[in-house]
Amino acid sequence: MATPFLPLIQGGAPLREDRVRQLMTRENAIRWAPLLVLIGLIILFTAINPAFLSQRNFARIAIAASPALMVAIGVTFIIVMGSIDLSMEGTVGLTAVLFCFVFLATGGTLAAGAWVAIPVILLVGALIGLVNGLVHVKLRIPSFMASLAIGFVGTGAAVLITGGDIVKIDDDTFRALLTWRIAGFPLMVYVVAAMTVLAWFIQSHTTLGRNFYAVGGGEELAHASGLNVRRVRIMGFVLAGVFYAVAGILQVAKLGQAESVSGANFMFISITSVVVGGVALWGGIGGIWNTVVGVLIVNVINNGMVVIGLPNYLQDGMLGLLVIVAVVLSTDRRSISFVK
Amino acid sequence: MDLQRLKPHFPWITLLVLVAFVGINDPNFLKPVNLLSLAGDIVPLFIMALGLTFAIYIGGIDLSAQSMANMITVVASVYLASLGLWAAALCVVLGFALGLVSGFITTRLFVPSFISTLAVGGVCFSVAQWLSGNRALNMDANQRDALFGWMIGRTGIIPNELFIAATLLAICLFIERRTTLGRALKAVGAGELAAAASGLNVTRYKMLAFAISGTLAAIAGLLFSVKLSGGAPTIANGFLLPAIVAVLVGGTPLTGGVGGVLNTAIGTMIVAVIRASMLYFGVQATQQQMVFGLVLIVAIALTIDRSKLRTVK
Repeated sequence: MATPFLPLIQGGAPLREDRVRQLMTRENAIRWAPLLVLIGLIILFTAINPAFLSQRNFARIAIAASPALMVAIGVTFIIVMGSIDLSMEGTVGLTAVLFCFVFLATGGTLAAGAWVAIPVILLVGALIGLVNGLVHVKLRIPSFMASLAIGFVGTGAAVLITGGDIVKIDDDTFRALLTWRIAGFPLMVYVVAAMTVLAWFIQSHTTLGRNFYAVGGGEELAHASGLNVRRVRIMGFVLAGVFYAVAGILQVAKLGQAESVSGANFMFISITSVVVGGVALWGGIGGIWNTVVGVLIVNVINNGMVVIGLPNYLQDGMLGLLVIVAVVLSTDRRSISFVK
Repeated sequence: MDLQRLKPHFPWITLLVLVAFVGINDPNFLKPVNLLSLAGDIVPLFIMALGLTFAIYIGGIDLSAQSMANMITVVASVYLASLGLWAAALCVVLGFALGLVSGFITTRLFVPSFISTLAVGGVCFSVAQWLSGNRALNMDANQRDALFGWMIGRTGIIPNELFIAATLLAICLFIERRTTLGRALKAVGAGELAAAASGLNVTRYKMLAFAISGTLAAIAGLLFSVKLSGGAPTIANGFLLPAIVAVLVGGTPLTGGVGGVLNTAIGTMIVAVIRASMLYFGVQATQQQMVFGLVLIVAIALTIDRSKLRTVK
């Protein structure tokens, strides 16, 4: 990047103004706005109720955000490609329920061999993602509708398996994900942190990750330069499915139980988070760290509203307005003529 | 007779085959009383699907329909006591206004319709929870019967809901076939850029399509709350999937431009017969969602116009 040296060459008085103008570009504003919003929210809530800024409350936010972050990271890969995945409610519900069943069938405690349930469920998540991707790519159905339908099927399958009942898991070793705290934060928060780093690694240091951006930045160009776009898309959905499965497992760890509606509300919250964090719906822009910030914004708002005493039914409405504002701000309106 | 020429006839052939199939296995199914009550039960769903047809006809989608209906059941239950018959007017106006908002966000702010309607749906859900205090509400039975009893009674053996459905279908059919709005919506659905280039005020017509969708979702919610004599923020959950299925199996593809409200009437009947047949064949109600999810995929795959999608995102 040569631009930082430009003011030096020009020299003299305008240096400062140029700096400012450079920092105030649209790209920079979009890149840093979410983080500034997050900091602003934390300051705001702390000012209203100092109890917000406590380690215990932050642990509460982290726990609430953990499964949501896994779902949001999964869908980030898809949105970066310019597609959308609306299957998370069904996938999380189904994987959570199946996890309980496999867990109980293989002994009921991690020590007795039930750890098998974890790789099995990650595989199931990948399979659901694969179906998603195949339906979307092979049948050439727009992803939002293909994944919405698969999501309905997933929830339906979860209802079918459970018969509408709740499945409980009562294993102290497994629940340690929630109960065992290191430096005040439960183990699951560290698991999520590790998965986030893994996601970042996939995004930034693997061919697949670069290919997501290639497809999102311009599908036809990517295709023309020899990329197997269809395969990349399918791989994206598979990857997303794995992250949804992690969310499903964490949801069970958090609540100690699973039912067909374990995934309820994840669709709205995760997509809001991703978009609010600054990942453009059009694809190619943003990434994992935007999603992390977005999930934190959404969860800080949810938590903060409770802490300052606002009723929690305002949440969905707030999120609705937030997502519209975020999409509007991140859209370069000169470059599009119409949307469907 | 190639496949393309047969395609428009698929919906009603499917319907006839399904009806015959169930009828042969269970002759009771074909009794007029049974068919009529089956049709009567599905009217709220039909009205919602009717509205969705407009959103899908222009190539968009309205995912707020279910939340809208939910909210309206609450609004109707809360305001029936104080507003009387005006509660119905309030519901319709609310539906129209929120639909217009969805349309505005989609067309003027360039937010894709599935996101904008999802967001408006979130707002509806919040309003419903706030108004109801997160509880199930009941209508005063006497007042309901006095003001809205005509909606749910029977005339002879025909459920009154069917008259409402027929009236709304007629109005929608008139809009679609005999008005400038209808022609304009077809133009937008067939090719938005061409429509805009030929001087059509695309923005206004698209907003109206979403407004019609919102209005009909509100009417569906109103009828539903009258039927159940109450409302709750999640009472109409489970409507969205069959409503979308009804529009798509009827033959209005996701890409818009072809099909229409009459197709949706047939599509809704298909949904009703599938539901009924599942009952006859001992498929549990809990499996409905799975079945409809699969039907949805098949229906989209068969109807979608791939020549309109340069890249499938």
